[in-house]
Amino acid sequence: MSKPLFHKLPPRAIRIWQWSNSIGNLFLFGLPALYYLFFQDSVNQVFLISLIVIISIIYLLYLLWIPFLQWKKWRYSVDENEIHLKRGVIIKRETLIPLNRVQHVDTRQGPLLQWYNLSTVSISTAATTHEIPNLDSEIALRVRSTISTNARLAKEDV
Amino acid sequence: MYEFQRQHPIASVSKTLREIRRNIISILVTLFVGASSEAIPFHLLIYIGIPLIFVIGVVAWWRFQYKIEDGELHIRSGIFVRKNLYLTRDRVQVIDISSGVLQRLFGLVKVDIQTAGSTSRDASIEAVTAEKADLINRLLRNGAQQKSADEEAESVESEKSKVYSLPGKHLLIAATTSGRFGIILSVMGTIFSQIEPVIRESEIFDYLFSMLPSQTDGIMIASIILIVIVAAWIFSFFSTLLMYGDFSVEVKKEEIVIMRGIFEKKRITVPYNRIQAIYVNEGLVRQPLGYASAHLESAGYGDDKGTGSLMLFPLIPRKKVEKLIKEIVPQHDVKIDGYTPPFKTLRRYIFRAAFIILLITGLVYYFLYNAAWIWIFPALSIFWGWLKYKDAGIGWDRDNIILRSRTLSKTTAIIKRNRIQDISINQSPIQRYRNLCTIQVYVASGDHGKSFSVKDLDYDDVQMLYVDLQKRKEKETERELTIPQRKAETTLPGWKVNVA
Repeated sequence: MSKPLFHKLPPRAIRIWQWSNSIGNLFLFGLPALYYLFFQDSVNQVFLISLIVIISIIYLLYLLWIPFLQWKKWRYSVDENEIHLKRGVIIKRETLIPLNRVQHVDTRQGPLLQWYNLSTVSISTAATTHEIPNLDSEIALRVRSTISTNARLAKEDV
Repeated sequence: MYEFQRQHPIASVSKTLREIRRNIISILVTLFVGASSEAIPFHLLIYIGIPLIFVIGVVAWWRFQYKIEDGELHIRSGIFVRKNLYLTRDRVQVIDISSGVLQRLFGLVKVDIQTAGSTSRDASIEAVTAEKADLINRLLRNGAQQKSADEEAESVESEKSKVYSLPGKHLLIAATTSGRFGIILSVMGTIFSQIEPVIRESEIFDYLFSMLPSQTDGIMIASIILIVIVAAWIFSFFSTLLMYGDFSVEVKKEEIVIMRGIFEKKRITVPYNRIQAIYVNEGLVRQPLGYASAHLESAGYGDDKGTGSLMLFPLIPRKKVEKLIKEIVPQHDVKIDGYTPPFKTLRRYIFRAAFIILLITGLVYYFLYNAAWIWIFPALSIFWGWLKYKDAGIGWDRDNIILRSRTLSKTTAIIKRNRIQDISINQSPIQRYRNLCTIQVYVASGDHGKSFSVKDLDYDDVQMLYVDLQKRKEKETERELTIPQRKAETTLPGWKVNVA
């Protein structure tokens, strides 16, 4: 059996992660704000400032570096028997989905993805849903149709 | 049956009760919030709310109509949104006729019509007379049976189905050691924390204080906690008795029928081809006593909550587990070589189990309570970590995969390989450094899935399994099994080994 052929996500995916991180992680700054609101009388200046600094560093990491690593680690492959997914920056995750288990495949596109002409493919089995995020729209359609055709063929075998 | 008809009016009551049970949490929250807020008069909430719920029940009953025409069941339901459900007789897999307390009071039965999909939960007729249920059964079933009338006669003859029931002694043990205790305790804790201020303000507290001679606050609180624990245990004892009383499993040719419940009789039919996995649980208390419980995961046949986990047997001596599996679910009776995590992972297991408890104990010891005996908790957690290490294991052959692990109770899952929905391998940075990984296997269960996982296995072993799973599609004869080169450390599921 030949080794599966792995594909990477388009580099534009990094932009998407950067955008979503930059918005989604804003809540982190709520922590010092809450601290300030609750302990107005007895705010520890050093603690407050170090908290803000640490949060800013985390925020910047997630804005500038992590999306790049995410993109670097993401691999997917679809062949006639199964789908492989490999991803994870800190915790590496490998997933194998037998194609005859696939129930349906969707592509999704939010406004942000639309702007970059990207789509997310989500693959549902009877137990779980997995996503291949931020694929080029054209490729996403191709992946979707490959999966659904192969899934149909795989089913007939069983 | 060719005209639309309604259920027995009693269905409106059972519908109401079910609605209440389903929304119990939001109702409780509303009551508590309502009781403490000044803006909404509390009695108004009750005077409007309770009749409203019953009106909804009655309207739901009025709007629920069903008919059977040309072997097709058509159900119309829904108060505002009209829902039409069509079920053809070919799709019907199982018809369960059961009766709860309410139904039995009025001599009625409940009919559940199950298909492969999860929509079949809506195809449940709450309350009809026994004759009508019989008619429904005949109209929907005879299509499937008609073509094989001979077969049916034959099968009736050969279907001397075996019935396994739960001995009374085991039921009592099951109730005593029931794990529901913890859940009930937490629920009671939440309720208590809500009503505690009410009690404190009232005279009960003063009265108790005057009754008990010169008690400190600490002893008072300790005794209250003790009372709550005992009450929770008693509650869980009786709820388990009621739930699993009269338990029996009937083995038929193509399905097993699980019956349980004293007041509310439940009857669950599971066709063999819907069984996704079998797992056996050995609880913390039950394991030393030599008992276990057996469960199964089924697809599509969820209960009201949509989980497909069903109790296959509430309590069984572990020596008999193997026999039970052989007789009830013979296809899951397998023995294969197993691989355990390498010895170097023992400290990871212990660290994970003990770290937080050690930290908390240290802090408590240092700041709050300077007594040596509290170090028994970290000692126990180290023992727990060792147990977790000892119980972890994985094994596979051509058709099966067995995963064994422990959270609190020890779980041994036996899964057919063609039932695996997907399989994941996770590696944290330290695991990567030590060439370990965590495996997670998903099977279908009810509306969602259920996963079984084992931590800190040797990465090379799991890689073998991963490669092996990919070969699944090759021709049967060409397929050879890849298994780790090293000697198997254990035999799974290993009931016998551990008993000796």
